[in-house]
Amino acid sequence: MKKIIISTLAVSALLFTTSCETDFDTDVKDVQVTKGDADFSKYISLGNSLTSGYRDGALYSSGQSESYPSIIAAQMQLAGGGAFKQPLMPNDVGGFIGLPGFPGKLTLQVTASGSLGPVASSPAAALDNVTAGGPYQNMGVPGAKSFHLVAPGYGSAANLAIGAANPYFVRFATSATTSVLQDAMAQKPTFFSLWIGNNDVLSYATNGGTNSQTVGGVTTYTVATVQTNNVNPTTYKSNDISDPNLVAGSIKAVLDGLKSVGTTKGVIGNIPYVTSIPFFTTVPYNPLTPTTLGANLATLNASLYGPLKQALTAFGAGDRINLLSSTSANPVLIKDVALTDLSAQLTAALTPSLGPLTAAAFGQIFGQARQAKSDDYILLTSSSLIGTPAPGAPAPVNVYGISYPLQNQHVLTKTEASYVKTAVDAYNTSIKSLADSYGLAFVDGNAKMVELNGNSGISFDGVKYTAKFVTGGAFSLDGVHLTGRGYAVIANEFIKSINMKYKSTLPQVDPNKYSGIKFP
Amino acid sequence: MKKILVSTALLAGVLSYAGGFRVSLQGVKQLAMAHTSAHAEDASVAFFNPAGMSFIPSKLSIVAGGFGASNKVTFQNLNTLQSTETDNPLGTPLYAAVAYRPIENLSVGFSFTTPFGSTIQWPSDWEGREMVQKLELKSFYFQPMVSVKLAPWVSFGASYIYAKGKVDWDKAVTQFGGELNIKDEKASGSGYGFGFYFRPDPKLDISIAYRSPIDMKAKNGTATFKFPSASVYPLLGLDPSTGQDKFTATLPLVEEYTVGLTYKVTPKWLVSADFNYHGWERYSKLTLDFATAPVATGNPADPTVLVSPKNFRNSKTFRLGTQYAFTDMIFGRLGAYYDESPYTDDHFIPETPSFNTYVITGGLGFKLKQFGVDIAGGYALPQARDVRNTTLGFNGQAKAKAFYFGLGLSYNPF
Repeated sequence: MKKIIISTLAVSALLFTTSCETDFDTDVKDVQVTKGDADFSKYISLGNSLTSGYRDGALYSSGQSESYPSIIAAQMQLAGGGAFKQPLMPNDVGGFIGLPGFPGKLTLQVTASGSLGPVASSPAAALDNVTAGGPYQNMGVPGAKSFHLVAPGYGSAANLAIGAANPYFVRFATSATTSVLQDAMAQKPTFFSLWIGNNDVLSYATNGGTNSQTVGGVTTYTVATVQTNNVNPTTYKSNDISDPNLVAGSIKAVLDGLKSVGTTKGVIGNIPYVTSIPFFTTVPYNPLTPTTLGANLATLNASLYGPLKQALTAFGAGDRINLLSSTSANPVLIKDVALTDLSAQLTAALTPSLGPLTAAAFGQIFGQARQAKSDDYILLTSSSLIGTPAPGAPAPVNVYGISYPLQNQHVLTKTEASYVKTAVDAYNTSIKSLADSYGLAFVDGNAKMVELNGNSGISFDGVKYTAKFVTGGAFSLDGVHLTGRGYAVIANEFIKSINMKYKSTLPQVDPNKYSGIKFP
Repeated sequence: MKKILVSTALLAGVLSYAGGFRVSLQGVKQLAMAHTSAHAEDASVAFFNPAGMSFIPSKLSIVAGGFGASNKVTFQNLNTLQSTETDNPLGTPLYAAVAYRPIENLSVGFSFTTPFGSTIQWPSDWEGREMVQKLELKSFYFQPMVSVKLAPWVSFGASYIYAKGKVDWDKAVTQFGGELNIKDEKASGSGYGFGFYFRPDPKLDISIAYRSPIDMKAKNGTATFKFPSASVYPLLGLDPSTGQDKFTATLPLVEEYTVGLTYKVTPKWLVSADFNYHGWERYSKLTLDFATAPVATGNPADPTVLVSPKNFRNSKTFRLGTQYAFTDMIFGRLGAYYDESPYTDDHFIPETPSFNTYVITGGLGFKLKQFGVDIAGGYALPQARDVRNTTLGFNGQAKAKAFYFGLGLSYNPF
């Protein structure tokens, strides 16, 4: 017995001393950050608003300091990376005084109704010029489409009036004739990032597939074109979807240009499906609950929805409108230009009961109207319109979404969304094959955005990020661009791809350290 | 040998973060022998097994003791190269017990212990601040008990457990740029324990005991939100001036099964072994039910109910200890045990960090007539582990260091 016990104790003691791994194999404090096959001494970022650090509907200084390229550059500096200068805005509000369409940033404020909502600020300064402080390594230009990067004169102040230049590039372009690419090539970067192409579909989507023209204070909307077999951007209107061949050609031109000055190492990102961002997913297609409609529900069914459905049914289009339900949420009325225009038929059918004038108005208003479906996207900016009177429409058929359809520019319909997706898929196919043929690191930004938009979102150290407006934490108040935390998530994707391709060991960042939505 | 024992004892220190937030420090003499249970020398057996009271040599036995428990946890993130250490205060588990045998076959007793608890203090700006900045858990067990000798060689004992507890938890609310404190100092619950104690042979003691789970109910907790601006409070259903809300929650203190035996190899030398089984599976999730604050954005059905998955699993502990009587007055003790972490790498949580842990213990006992003084120490060797909690997006590696020391007194007047 004694022997057994002694040997048991001895064996236990042995097990004890041999199986103890109390320390880390590698302590992170001893980890040396390395650049691998890459050279980060002069890193330049090319792209659009996402690259510039644009958020909350504006470019402003504290936002720029959390742009994803500046986050990446800070990590590169741990492995021989050089200085990374950004063309900082002169203030923390943004916007340009005197230039229409460039307001200051949105801030979250408690509205009169007691809820929180984004409110735009007035622009804080006139367009400045910071060229003298250059050259700048962050060359992201808000609003730039793929072909703008190779467009000479895109930074010419004189071209602003004719819409051929961009004030954000005017600020730091080295000359009136240069292009973004030429300015980048002049710096002979050792490493670059390129994330471009979003705006080639985004402005189409955020404008509901329309172009607009304002003359004498009156804005008119026309259907934007889905460009194919047309690689001449001078023939495009501002919100047209770019021909995938033009996008691919422009990106290739950028890569060739950089290659010609010896810049062959870099990273390129693909384009997210724009319809996964809060700008499109926040407003439900069916916000009209029986409670919000109240007593109007019966009146609307009797005097508008009923007769309309009856008339439309006669023309074989009865499925455009259903009677309002008193038990479940109802969809808003929208105008869908993909529908056959039945205004003449409706006018004719309604004339006996309504008289020619009213019937003509009805025909014109409802000729391409239908109720929205779950695959239509009501724009974030249309949210405040629903339930308000449409200017110029005759009462009682003048309430947006309820008795007057939301117009083409207020909604990205299923058909329009499909054009966007087709284009993005084509762009992404080209971007991937260019990444492969030029031997670049590749970031699947689309996959990351899909992950963010999923039910479980993306969690970092217990903080969950989703693509939900405001509460999701990743998207800023414009519903399109990211917060500092969202940009940090993207920066990590770039860093992972760079490390994988070039065998560098750049550390990722902690997204929670950056700024999110600022509550009042 | 003596020198080794003394120096081991002086290696004061520790931690007890092995099994969840169970702190196995309820007897100084026992700790010195790996916290084994089959030691019916005095009233300190009460917590381990009420039935043990029947085999205490003296009619009246009173014991009390206290520990210092020190530990430090380090977490490192291999992606971001961040490294963080806790700055935990010294834990001070206490115990006291009295056992009295008024008639031959009946013993009554009372035990006071602090078997669950921990204070973990991470830097307030560390990367896991959304999960925890500081968590203080305390529990106090009050156990009246009775034991009956069924035969000269076997007894049965049972106890009622009344538990009081405290939770005080600080965490960041990153999305709002603020912080949240969850506090209830009046949580309570009740349970029971029972066991059999056998002495089939003068050389052999066997202890078999069960202690029931206790659901500590926080019925009137206060949640205090601190945001940069108070304007958000009304929107979250919080008191507009204080940012407060009420909450209820239940924290399970889990059941424990113990089988222990002690064998007297010679009149001077004994060895002990224990096996514990802990029912941590009960801690599958923590539910905080707020009165009005809709903070659980992930639970659209009822956003005032915040559910955090914990996914603990049942765990085991193996203990081996020994005592040698140098004289009638001086005893040397040694022990070692292995305590299993109650969760896998993918459920690691920083508010109750746990490791598979080896602990080496040692101590000395002095007996002077009816009085006894014991000292003990333990040095823990928690195993470094990977952290892969994908639900929380919490990934990296963790390690810990811990030591304990204790001083116990006993008085056995007659």
